[in-house]
Amino acid sequence: MAFEYLGVDLPIREKTISSHRMSWEVIASPGRWWTGAERVEIARIGRAARDFDAVGSDILLEAAVFAIQKLVVDNANLNPEWYQEIIASEGMTEDRYVELVAVVVHALSIDEFHRALGLELESLPQPVGGNPTCERPAEAEQRSSWPPIVPKSGLNHGDEMLYGPMEWGANVISALSLIPENVRWLHDLSEGHYLSFAEMRMPDPLRAISRPQIELIAARVSALNECFY
Amino acid sequence: MLRESSNRSDALDSLNLQGTVNPDADSGVPHGSLLTAFAEAAVRQTDALPGLREQIVSELGVQELVDAAGVVANFQRMVRIADGCGIPLDEFTRDATDDCREELGLHEYASAANTA
Repeated sequence: MAFEYLGVDLPIREKTISSHRMSWEVIASPGRWWTGAERVEIARIGRAARDFDAVGSDILLEAAVFAIQKLVVDNANLNPEWYQEIIASEGMTEDRYVELVAVVVHALSIDEFHRALGLELESLPQPVGGNPTCERPAEAEQRSSWPPIVPKSGLNHGDEMLYGPMEWGANVISALSLIPENVRWLHDLSEGHYLSFAEMRMPDPLRAISRPQIELIAARVSALNECFY
Repeated sequence: MLRESSNRSDALDSLNLQGTVNPDADSGVPHGSLLTAFAEAAVRQTDALPGLREQIVSELGVQELVDAAGVVANFQRMVRIADGCGIPLDEFTRDATDDCREELGLHEYASAANTA
C-alpha cells in the first residue's frame, strides 16, 4: 500500500494519509481526457520539473510537457496568451488542460508535504488501464477564469455542497470544475493538508498551530509565489 | 483570512501584514518569523530547511511541524490552481482586502492582471 510511512517518526494525521492514498488512486486511473498512463506521466514530469529537471516524455506531446513545467516552476508568469497558445496546441484542449493542471498540482502538493518534512517521495502509482470517458459537462460555461467552469448543477451527485451557498462556488474552488471530480479531489486534499470546508469557518480548528499561524504560512507561501489571488 | 482569523484570536494583540511579504517584518503572530522562515525554506528548497524543522520541533512541537508542512503543501497547490486558471479575486475578497493589497505591493504581481 502507498504512503505507509514506515519508520517515519512523525505524527502524520490519518486524514493526510488517506487523502494521499486517494490522490494516488485518482492519478493512476483514467480520467475524462487522459489515460491512467498519461496521468502518471504528467505527475512524473511535474516531479522532475520541481528539481529543475526538464525531462522529456515518450507519451506526452510537447505542449503538455511544456505546460506542466511552466505550472511547476514559473506559475507566477502565466497569462491568458500563454493559456490560449497551450490549448490551441496539437493534442491539447481546454478540457485536457484542466485535467492536466489538476494532476500536476495535487501530485506536487503531496510531494511538497514530503519535501517540507524531509521525507522520501512516494513512488508514483502504477497506471490503471482503460480509456478516458471524454465527457464534458453540458452545464460548462465560460465565466471569469480562463477555462470554462460548471455551476453547482453540473457537479457530481452529492458534491453540490462543496460550493457552499454559491451557485458557481468561490473562484478557486470551481477553477478546475470542467472536470467535476476535481472539486471533490480539491476538498479532500485540502482537508488532509490544511482544513476541511467546515473547519475553514472555525476561528480555532483542531490543529497544533493556531488559525493565525496557519493563515500566516498560507499568506507567505502565496507571496513567495507572487500569487495575487 | 489571516486578518480575519487574527481579529478573532485572543492570542494576538496586533497584526502586521507586512510579515507576509517581508521576512524581516514582525507579523505579530506568535512564532510567526520561524513559521514564515520555514515556509520560505520549503518553497525555495534551501539548505536552511533541516535546521528550521528542528527549531520548530524544539520551540513548538512535532505535530506543529507536520501541520505547518501541510499548510505549505496545500498552498503550493492552491496558488498554481489560481495562476493556472487565471482566476480573478472573488468579489467579497476584493472588497474586503482593497485597503491592504496596495500597501503590500500585491498589484505588482503578474497575476493581478486577472482581477479587473
